[in-house]
Amino acid sequence: MRPMTNIYQPDLMEVLDVQQQTTDVKSVRVRFRDDARGDDFLFRVGQFGMFSLFGYGESTFNICSSSNWKDFVEFCFRRTGRVTEALWSLEKNDTIGFRGPYGNSYPMDKWIGKNLIFIGGGIAMPPLRCAIWYALENREQFGDITIVYGARRVQDLVFRQELDRWAEYDRVRVVPCVDPGGETPNWTGEVGFVPAVTERAQIPAGNAVALVIGPPVMIKFTLPVLAKMGLADRDIYTSLENRMKCGVGKCGRCNCGPVYVCKEGPVFTLEQLKSLPNEY
Amino acid sequence: MSQIISKPAIRRLVERWLRQGKRVIAPVQVRPNLVSYQPVRSPDQVLLEGFVRPLNSIKQVVFPRHEQLFQYRVRGKQIDLLPAPLPDVERIVLAARPCDAAALPILDHVFNWEFRDATYNRRRELTTVVTLACTEYDAHCFCTSVGSQPNDTRGSDALLLDLGDQTLEVRCVTDKGQSLFAGQTEASTRTAPTGPGPERRADLRRVGQQLEQAFERSEWAAWTNRCLGCGACAYGCPACHCFDMVDEGGPTCGARVRNWDACQFGQFTLHASGHNPRNAQSQRQRQRIYHKFHVYPNKFGELLCTGCGNCTRNCPVSLGVLPVLEAIQAEGAK
Amino acid sequence: MLQPLRETCRRLLQDGIVQVVIGYGQAVRAVEPYPVFITDPDDVGQLVWNEQCRTNLVKYLLRKEIRVLGKPAIVVKGCDERAIVVLEQESQIDRSQIVVIGVACDGMAEPRCEVCDAHQPRFADHTIGHATNETQPAERRYAHLCEFLEQPPSDRMAYWKAELERCVKCYACRQACPLCYCERCIVEKNRPACLDTSATLKGNFAWHIVRAFHLASRCVGCDQCSRVCPEGIDLRLVNLSMARASEASFGHRSGTDPQAELVLGNYSQQDQEHFIR
Ligand code: SF4
Ligand code: SF4
Ligand code: SF4
Ligand code: SF4
Repeated sequence: MRPMTNIYQPDLMEVLDVQQQTTDVKSVRVRFRDDARGDDFLFRVGQFGMFSLFGYGESTFNICSSSNWKDFVEFCFRRTGRVTEALWSLEKNDTIGFRGPYGNSYPMDKWIGKNLIFIGGGIAMPPLRCAIWYALENREQFGDITIVYGARRVQDLVFRQELDRWAEYDRVRVVPCVDPGGETPNWTGEVGFVPAVTERAQIPAGNAVALVIGPPVMIKFTLPVLAKMGLADRDIYTSLENRMKCGVGKCGRCNCGPVYVCKEGPVFTLEQLKSLPNEY
Repeated sequence: MSQIISKPAIRRLVERWLRQGKRVIAPVQVRPNLVSYQPVRSPDQVLLEGFVRPLNSIKQVVFPRHEQLFQYRVRGKQIDLLPAPLPDVERIVLAARPCDAAALPILDHVFNWEFRDATYNRRRELTTVVTLACTEYDAHCFCTSVGSQPNDTRGSDALLLDLGDQTLEVRCVTDKGQSLFAGQTEASTRTAPTGPGPERRADLRRVGQQLEQAFERSEWAAWTNRCLGCGACAYGCPACHCFDMVDEGGPTCGARVRNWDACQFGQFTLHASGHNPRNAQSQRQRQRIYHKFHVYPNKFGELLCTGCGNCTRNCPVSLGVLPVLEAIQAEGAK
Repeated sequence: MLQPLRETCRRLLQDGIVQVVIGYGQAVRAVEPYPVFITDPDDVGQLVWNEQCRTNLVKYLLRKEIRVLGKPAIVVKGCDERAIVVLEQESQIDRSQIVVIGVACDGMAEPRCEVCDAHQPRFADHTIGHATNETQPAERRYAHLCEFLEQPPSDRMAYWKAELERCVKCYACRQACPLCYCERCIVEKNRPACLDTSATLKGNFAWHIVRAFHLASRCVGCDQCSRVCPEGIDLRLVNLSMARASEASFGHRSGTDPQAELVLGNYSQQDQEHFIR
């Protein structure tokens, strides 16, 4: 049990940098205003935080920076609701609220010695990115790394510049793709939907685990591909995005079947997911 | 030997508690057909007999329907957060029903599940709960079906039982209860008999097993179609605890607040993207039943329901948990 | 009355004229009758009719869970059916796709029943039973309100503060109201947030004032909001107040005349303007 402080009161964070990723996606780099808090802060990749703008409210985002990066954390959002609309106008030096880290994480320790397959679609790159950087920074611990990342159009790819940097690492294969019609004249990546591209990519699936995050349809059609490749349900991971308010297992909103996504999730294996009702 | 106190003496105690600046919450006759727990201003407001159970619950004493979590002030780039002060007024809940008090230990689990909720716990410490055993029941009461009974002391600091002739037996359960009544009671040989309680309709402690098989049943719509999707069942329930967090005020000053919320509202799980994991009312009803009789019991080892019947009593269309559970059980028996 | 009601419903289902009957069922006398949705002619025995049938079932014509069941027949009282009239005027329902079964009502022991002038339904497709509709002069219909208004404003304010203090914002009033049909209620809009969602005195006043604004001249006075309120708030006072203003200023009694022009939907040279300052 943790000491009794106000668990709903956020820490203040200073905005260091804002990057517009696509027409409606931005990533933000923030640092604790309180240095001591920043020094103490630890998280594991896959965890999330409650990010807030005072007067507008809180929103749940994955912490998309690597847990090895000590001086700041990053999150990424799409402009869809009241809070994200307000976050859109964030500038350097602005202050936001942060609570976290919350939830479970990717079992990076369990993945040591395995080949890693990351598959993402659209805005789902951020929750993959933290794990990808973590794996690259601990390169010797993992086997081959394959990253399949697709979006509707080239300009919808989030963290596009980083794809090339990842590809420079040893035994890393990056397979970017865009939906048919979404390519630009100088596009060198694949054209096609993520599930089909994954199948075509002939990824060796022996001793592999896959982290698959994206829109429900993408996941739905990618899972059979992974099964065909020979991945067991317990080796396929995803991260759920249920609506949350408190993030600490109280407000009831993210309860889905036997689990509270904020506490027992957001990371689940396909095996676990299959035992949950389809209410996420 | 038992301890007894007269009703006039209890009212004198109320008088004293109020004078001491304590907050007293008790069943009050708000209108001819409405008894509800309200803060009392004078001892004669307190109902000590002649009611089945209030339509609201005592959870409001530890988990108010609205509370500020902290305030914010924005001056240019400077932001200050002012934490909400911890509550400090002592509260005495008098003549609460046992099915209300029994919900407090249930709420304790949630508000201390790894992360401890400071204001909840503080209010809990400041609260002494004196229950009054039931002698009247209505068609909605089913405490005996969840393994409880009208003189259950769970969650009570002291239990009062009516002995007739304006006298109550006092059974102190905790130190808090002891100290509240210390020197106020008389020794007696009279003890209140244990009444039978409402008719036992089912053993709902075991309904979880049935629910294991019932999730995909096609009858959920038929069982719950009449639900209108309001919050009357949840807000009157002593154990329901879902809440919402929003910012109220402007961009320069305001507060982040916590308000009761309910899983039956269509917006409860609605994502900003428009996706709603529980889009149909029957799914939302199923969620409420599962949360209370399957999810919570599996996590914390007990039901998230005390059998008070308030959900049905408050429901515009007499739904609530019991009719649904009875329908499930009837189907299971076929 | 019960037999003809069940017979009518059986026939409608058997002949395939409707797919579902929205009526009242009841398990035991001690628990109020509740809405049932009968799809099988053999189940019409579940239908009941008695002086406890206080629910206005018209709300279910709008609920998607019931709409999927197919073309409905609905059991209504004289007060309930006024909501059907308004829903049709507001293009929320296609009246030709609904069979209305009106049942003569002797009263449901509700406050409005004392001044009821619609014991016998007037716009139903089938009517069960007979009752006489007496005209009720306006003074009688608004007596409850007038009595309240006799108090000085400060007392009235104190009354509403005490009442609305108790409102928990469970929205049962809205959910039971046949004319609250917004896909997204204004209290749930948050871009921008128009109203505090908190159940504070301020937030509760805002909620009830806004709801009244949205129902002014539309409310049919079925008083479901009052009936369902778990906090016993007498919302009927608000309803009467809206109805009286609508009748006094526009000669409009909502839901009593299918041919009437809607107050909010029409402009007329004769419209009163005395309240515009
Ligand atoms: S679910 Fe219903 S019966 Fe159970 S505690 Fe809540 S209100 Fe009472
Ligand atoms: S069960 Fe009744 S009280 Fe609960 S949401 Fe449905 S209509 Fe409202
Ligand atoms: S208002 Fe008239 S029709 Fe409606 S319930 Fe009362 S008596 Fe019956
Ligand atoms: S039904 Fe009553 S308590 Fe619920 S929101 Fe309406 S007025 Fe408030």
